Parts: sequence; C-alpha cells; structure tokens
Amino acid sequence: MMISPQSFSGSAWAEQARGDLLRIVRINEEIKSIVGVAFKINIMALNAIFLAKRAGTAARGFGVLSNELRVFSQDLRDSMAGLTALIHACVAEVSLVLQDIRHTRLLRQAVETSRVGRLTEVLAERERKSTEHAQHLVGLRKQLKRALDDAFQLVELGGMLAKSAKIEAAYGQAFAVPLSQVSGEFDGVVEEIRASLEALRRSAFFAGR
Amino acid sequence: MKKTKTIFQEGNHKWVAIVRDPDKANHLIDTNEYLVTHGSKGLLLDPGGAEIFPAVFSALSSEFDPSALSGIFASHQDPDTCSSLALWLEFNPQLRCHVSWLWAGFIPHFGGTAETFVAIPDEGDDINLDGLILRAVPAHYLHSSGNFHLYDKVAKLLFSGDVGAALLPAAESGLFVENFDAHIRHAEGFHRRWMGSNEAKRAWCERVSKIDIDMLCPQHGAIYQGADVQRFINWFDALQVGSCGG
Repeated sequence: MMISPQSFSGSAWAEQARGDLLRIVRINEEIKSIVGVAFKINIMALNAIFLAKRAGTAARGFGVLSNELRVFSQDLRDSMAGLTALIHACVAEVSLVLQDIRHTRLLRQAVETSRVGRLTEVLAERERKSTEHAQHLVGLRKQLKRALDDAFQLVELGGMLAKSAKIEAAYGQAFAVPLSQVSGEFDGVVEEIRASLEALRRSAFFAGR
Repeated sequence: MKKTKTIFQEGNHKWVAIVRDPDKANHLIDTNEYLVTHGSKGLLLDPGGAEIFPAVFSALSSEFDPSALSGIFASHQDPDTCSSLALWLEFNPQLRCHVSWLWAGFIPHFGGTAETFVAIPDEGDDINLDGLILRAVPAHYLHSSGNFHLYDKVAKLLFSGDVGAALLPAAESGLFVENFDAHIRHAEGFHRRWMGSNEAKRAWCERVSKIDIDMLCPQHGAIYQGADVQRFINWFDALQVGSCGG
C-alpha cells in the first residue's frame, strides 16, 4: 500500500505521529532496562565462573556454560545498542513528520488564500518530502521489528544456556546447591528479558502506517 | 486574512504595512509586518510567527510578487518576529535574513542554512535593496540585547520593532495614532516591562532625535506620524523602564 500523509487526514496523521513518539519513548525505556539486566548477567556469569573453578572438574560443564552466558550478555548489549540507534533514527523521523504536518498545514492555508502559482509547487514539494519521510519511517519500523526479532532469537539462545546450566548444576556434587541457585537466577533474568522483548514486539508502534 | 496598507510611495519605492487580521486567534499577539519595495526587489521586515504565515503570505502576495523578495530583516530573535522563517525559505531558499550577529546562531533554530544569515555588527550596517540604502540602526537592550531598527532616509521612515509598540483594545485598532494621549496608555506597561535599560533607552532617544523621521512604525500597535514621532521619543525618554509590577 502506498503510504502518504495525503491519503490520511492531517489531524489523524498528527495524532498517529504524536502517539508514535510516545510509543518510541516506551520502547527505549524497555531497552534501557534490558541493557541493565544484560550487565547483571555478565556479573552473575563472572561469579559463576569463579564458583565453577572452586567446584573443580564436577562443574567444568557449568563453567563452560557460564562463559557462554558472558558472551551472550555482550551480544545482548550489542543487540540493544543496535536497537537504540534505530530508536534514535525513529525519533528523528517522527520529528520530521511532525514538522511536515505543521508546515504542510500552513502552506495549504496560504495556497487557499493566495494566487501565487509558485506556492502550489512549494506545497507539492513539501507533500513529496512528507511522503518520503513517512515512507522512511515505515522502513525504520520494519528494521526495528526485525532487530527485535533477532534480539528475541538471541534471548532464546540465552534461555537454552540458562536451562543447560541448571542441568549441569545437578552434577556439581558438593557444589550442586549453590550452582543450582546461580543457574536458577540465570534462568530468571533471561525469562525477564524474554518477557520484555515479547511486550516490545506487541507494541502498537509496529502496527502504525 | 491580514490587510495591506501602503504607507509611503514615491515612484517604484514603496512601504506597505501588513496588519490587523480579523481571523487571528486571540491567543497570538497581534503583529505588524512591513514590506519595503524598491525597483524590482522587496525586503520583508519582521515577517512574523509561523502560525500567521498564511495570512502574511496571502496579504503580501496581493501587493507584491513574493518571488521578488530578496531578504528578511529580523529586528530581534523573538518567535513573533521570525519563527515563520522556515516557511519563507521553503518558498524561496535564496532569501537572506539580516539579523544582529548576536542572534545569528540562534535564529537558525527556526530554519535556514549557514548561507541564509547576514550578521549585522553592533554598530549597525547598510542594507542595499536594489540601489536603495536602508540603515540598520542599533537599539540594543530595548527589548532584546541584540536589537536593530531600520531607517529609510528617502521615505523618512523608521521601523522601530518593539519600541513604540502598544497593545490595543479591539475598539482602538486604527493603523495610525490619532490621539497620542489616549494611545500611549496602551504602550506604557509594555515599555516599562519589555525595555530593559534606561541607559540604552536614553542613547536610543538621542540617536533617533537626530534623524529625520516622518513615521515611526512599531511591530505591534499603531504607527506614529508627524509631530507624534517626537512626542513619542520625549515620552519614552522620560519613562522609567526595566521594571515589572508597579
């Protein structure tokens, strides 16, 4: 479908743009909280590696998984940095759309009361740029959605690592209880991130035009 | 829509006041815009805020081809003065905006590129409009810390920005001051509050007393003409400014 501000009434377009800005802010807040949790996983994994070392050969598998969880933590932070960059691009584009709406409204009013032919061309150019900005925003929405899906896949992997760590903890002999506790915490925080990303994927921002 | 009124004309040299929009929203302060044309070129003084762009554009285009505007003169940085800049530049990206050097880095937030702005030094400058020399006269600290008025020695007309401004009730919205004593009541509170320096005011009064002015044209309110010009300067000279409240 051709997306254009002209195919949509000005006030409805403005209402959507204002709503988009609010939704983007919410997505960004959620991303910030995920980054915080990802950092926590890194610290937890570091402690788990020390614990596995103390447990010796019985916790070797747990140590390997803890190390993988550190890598996961870094990958997750990189993924969130990518999402943040896309969020900034979305804010910039929605701001342009809002400015377009105002300028288009004022130019339309001027065209209605003026007989200057050139102004009609200026309005047409403004509308062309508005359409470009709107289409760019559509592209950014899709990119952000894809990046969220990729982050979700990454978190699925993190979840598998956490669950595997739970299994490995059972073989930790004398250290089985503390290892089980740590792996349970891993599982808990990864599930927390999964829930956040699930909520983000359902954001009304992705249903926008 | 705003109305236009030619306030000076001599051959191809003309001043047009763009004023009084009956459809203007009440929450916006009323502004006067002025167009100076000479030969084939035009200069628009304090083009107004973005929200009144349609009214100003339409009124101006009924008098003059807006494509022939070569520049905009912004007396200072306020939104009611020039927040419509981006829209004028959409119409004509070649427009140049003359403004105090002090605001040349701030006004681009309304629109424009590095090429748009012509910075006026503190001591003032001449602006050449198709051979007509207009003088940017310093009026710093009179409302704004970097402030200029524009003098046309041929028309003997001084565009005085916020100096001389009056907030007129609807019943007294004539374009020219007709009864100075009645009119000046509507200017007093504004000048006391918005003019920041008695010293700067004194210097301005001395400076403009020495120039030949037939009409003093403010951005708000009515135009002073003839003897009312000097009457206003004397009144302003005696007024204590830079105070709020009582």
